Amino acid sequence: MASPCNSAVAQRIALVVLSDGEVDELLTDVLSKEGWSIQRVVDNHEALLLASTTPFDLIITGGKTRALEDVELFRKIRSSRPHTRMIILTDKWVPGDVITAMREGAFSYFSAPFEASELAAMVHAAMAAPCWDDGIEVLAGTPTWVRLAARCDLATANRLIQFLHGFKDPSIAEADREAVATAFSEILINSMEHGGHFDPSQYVEISFVRMSRAVVCRVKDPGEGFSLKELHHAAVNSPAGDPFSHVAVREAQGLRPGGFGLLLAKKLVDELIYSEHGNDVLLVKYIDPFGSQVT
Amino acid sequence: MALQITVRECGDVIILDLRGRSTIDGESELLGRHLRKLVDNDVRKLVLNLADLTKIDSSGISIIVGTCAALRRRGGDLRLLCPSGRVLDVLTVVRLLEVIPSFEDEAQALGSFGPRGYFATS
Repeated sequence: MASPCNSAVAQRIALVVLSDGEVDELLTDVLSKEGWSIQRVVDNHEALLLASTTPFDLIITGGKTRALEDVELFRKIRSSRPHTRMIILTDKWVPGDVITAMREGAFSYFSAPFEASELAAMVHAAMAAPCWDDGIEVLAGTPTWVRLAARCDLATANRLIQFLHGFKDPSIAEADREAVATAFSEILINSMEHGGHFDPSQYVEISFVRMSRAVVCRVKDPGEGFSLKELHHAAVNSPAGDPFSHVAVREAQGLRPGGFGLLLAKKLVDELIYSEHGNDVLLVKYIDPFGSQVT
Repeated sequence: MALQITVRECGDVIILDLRGRSTIDGESELLGRHLRKLVDNDVRKLVLNLADLTKIDSSGISIIVGTCAALRRRGGDLRLLCPSGRVLDVLTVVRLLEVIPSFEDEAQALGSFGPRGYFATS
């Protein structure tokens, strides 16, 4: 399933479709610092014309177009240059667009408003990571239920987490979206690390379900599982009066500092439910139409 | 933005100004390397200025807790300065602020270190 492409390119070139001044400045700064050559165009039509004659390693779309228009551009470019990467920027979130972008193999997706630091980090990732094209596979998707397979490596996890941040559903309070994204991130990385051993030949299965009053994420890893009660090296099992007692356990076992992921995830969602074997977990966040607070 | 770390000295206290994100995609490891080096170089009193830290996850929390434990074993201690927004939320839910003192004012954070460390328990 995994197949890295050849990334041995002397001078790498990015094509940037014009956005607002702040975004353009950021992209110029990030790309030029890494020695990339940058070509700019004003719209997707110009981008397609230029891409038909010049191979680009990375294309970053402008915020003014809809994501579906960018995906269409991506599809055309990829038909002749299959390993081109695209980061989609859009001013307008539309239900289903994130899924379409993932399905078509976009590297990342940002819908406004987004943090400049997050975009800079993802551009860095697109420049630095090996050129994998199949890290995220959409197995089935509707705007309310999407099933994915994600390769067990950190770069893929970060891409997937950014796609999740791209779901700017205005009917969910920003604090709730942030809580779900953070909890999912912790569980996903745990699953890839402990269940998949960050082995890129292994995949985790993921589902996102948007219900009328809840968001549910499911993460199933390829490992043999574990018993939550036996995780004495995790903060989630530290007693209330000694919240970091697991630190001593980890030190005694020669483990690196850590053990906070499960606790953080558990506190940020309303329910965290493991299957009998511990390799399949559900995160449930009930949606409060009047906003949410971290408890 | 990748994590940017500026190191300042104030007497026998070292202050690290953190700017950006301390998350698993690389930046927490950078913070961990900086802190390990300081502890290995016999620094005993550390302040982490989190005012411009925009995001932290379990990897960043682990680095902070590990550093605090290492300092306390050596008779030193750690203070946090000005956590806010999402960072404050995360530190609160994992109860970090119950264990590591946090201050809104740098002078107070510096003043909280006694001659042998405010919380130099073991």
